[in-house]
Amino acid sequence: MSANTWLATGNFYTTYKQEQKTFFTSLDRSVFTFFLIILFAWPLFFPLSNKFMLVIDNTLIAVVAVMGLNLVTGFAGLISIGHAAFVGIGAYTVASFCRTMGDTHIIITHFWPLMIILSGLVGAGFGAIVGLPALRLKHLYLAIATLSFQMIFQWVINFMTFFNQGQTISVGRVFWFTGKVGRKDHYFFWYYAILVVVILLGFGFRNLLKTRYGRCLIAVRDNDRAADAMGINPGLTKVYAFALAGFFAGVAGALHAYVYRGVGFESFTLHESIGYLAMAIVGGLGTLNGSFWGPVFIKFLDLQMEHLSEAIGQYLPSGMNLTTAMKPFTFGLVIVLFLMYESRGIANWWRITKSYTKLWPFRY
Amino acid sequence: MAHLNVSNVTLSFGGLKALSRVDMKIEAGLITSIIGPNGAGKTSMLNCISGFYHPTQGDIDYKGKKLTHASPHQVSNMGISRAFQNLELFSGLSVLDNLLLARHQNLKYSFLHAVFFYGKASRIEAENRAFVEGVIDFMELEPYRKSLVGNLSYGVQKKVEVARALTLAPDILLLDEPMAGMNQEEKEDIVRFVMDIQKEKGITVVLVEHDLGVVMDISDRIYVLDFGEVIGSGTPEEVAQNPKVIEAYIGED
Repeated sequence: MSANTWLATGNFYTTYKQEQKTFFTSLDRSVFTFFLIILFAWPLFFPLSNKFMLVIDNTLIAVVAVMGLNLVTGFAGLISIGHAAFVGIGAYTVASFCRTMGDTHIIITHFWPLMIILSGLVGAGFGAIVGLPALRLKHLYLAIATLSFQMIFQWVINFMTFFNQGQTISVGRVFWFTGKVGRKDHYFFWYYAILVVVILLGFGFRNLLKTRYGRCLIAVRDNDRAADAMGINPGLTKVYAFALAGFFAGVAGALHAYVYRGVGFESFTLHESIGYLAMAIVGGLGTLNGSFWGPVFIKFLDLQMEHLSEAIGQYLPSGMNLTTAMKPFTFGLVIVLFLMYESRGIANWWRITKSYTKLWPFRY
Repeated sequence: MAHLNVSNVTLSFGGLKALSRVDMKIEAGLITSIIGPNGAGKTSMLNCISGFYHPTQGDIDYKGKKLTHASPHQVSNMGISRAFQNLELFSGLSVLDNLLLARHQNLKYSFLHAVFFYGKASRIEAENRAFVEGVIDFMELEPYRKSLVGNLSYGVQKKVEVARALTLAPDILLLDEPMAGMNQEEKEDIVRFVMDIQKEKGITVVLVEHDLGVVMDISDRIYVLDFGEVIGSGTPEEVAQNPKVIEAYIGED
């Protein structure tokens, strides 16, 4: 058999191991590798201003958070409207270290990868606790339970002096092998750091879906009665799903704290939670690549709306603040349009494109 | 020595007694059928065994262990799997994934193995896949391996339902009306599968079925339920002679 490994003209697998591959053709793999190289290389050739780099860093952080949300809402079918609070848990884990040990303590500045993992674990712990109502509650009622977690989180942060009552807690600059990461390179540096995190978590996510730890989520989503009969403990699986989501969110929170060099509660409000949910829906619930499309699409849209309303704003009386009006408006419009016309999100377009081009150059 | 022992089981919902003082002995390696008119409590009985309902009174023992208050996943981990009457498949997944899912507890690798997907997880998943292919082969589902379960015809979905229960590699298989709503040909297929499951795989089968012809032909033991009570039991011949059973099915003259 001299199978063409570049084009998927047929199924040439002879072992089940071969079918486990992430990339089915060499073409897929090369395109993906090329894409990764571009992701790593472009900032070197087209340096952006700090402002735009921050937007991109932000998008990548949202990707991490939305991956977690996609696990719990997309794959396990448990609506969570408290996701920003989980992100906040991660950020405040870093912040509480800063409060107790000082924001330039060596643990914060030198061992930041450990801090990020630790924040993820703390997020997972809180996720598991918040997931407990899922043992009893379903659908909308569970959503309300997660909403209450969001509220509790905001109140606790707002009223505890330890957390500076929601005011910014600063986080020190980190060190890399080359020394302290300065003001100029800050966003540039974090772009790479977050990119690596996204890639690692993305592959972890992908692998998980191929194993029993991913399949049990889907089982619980599709039919938890049958899942129960098939030897899957639905309660435990739901708690586990929340813990996983909490981990992703915690990591995102820690990254957020480091990128902004400070933690304030307004980044983790209900509004942000809804934002994450919208990103997951626009990207496509229950798909891995949807977790990438959604944040990129929404953040890009936000940016464009800002530009547009600034441009239009010049011709309007100065009392009218178009930006504040346009952002929520387009945001809402996009969600409604997606729910109406493409409820499976951008990931569905991707799927369709792939299935069209799969057999190229043959028609069928 | 009975394999699965149901003793004195009563199940009541408020004032309604779905089952009252039911005794059953399900012996290893046989096909035991539970029959009875609509609403007689056949499915309630299966639900009690598989842990979806818990009997108000009485006990269910399996190999010396009590199942009375076990939850469904615990029961299925002990080696008792079931197929549902109303299809309870994971409709958004392919046939293959449905079956892979059912192997959940039989896959032994840790979470970290799964995340990195090296060595152990990959190897076990490949073995798992081979096992599932065996079941697909057995149930003659090869053409549908990759198709979404929701898009398949009713008859095939029923077959997937049975296949999924088989994938758990159970000792006892509970089948809840596997032939309901099927045409003659499909029925014959399922009957053949049920007999193969018993003979080739040596799995004890508990069958709930309405089709008396089928039940009389393939069963080794029959329990007849009516209004939640066992009104007759024994071999098909004995049951067919039992005046109470005749009365329940045909009515008094």
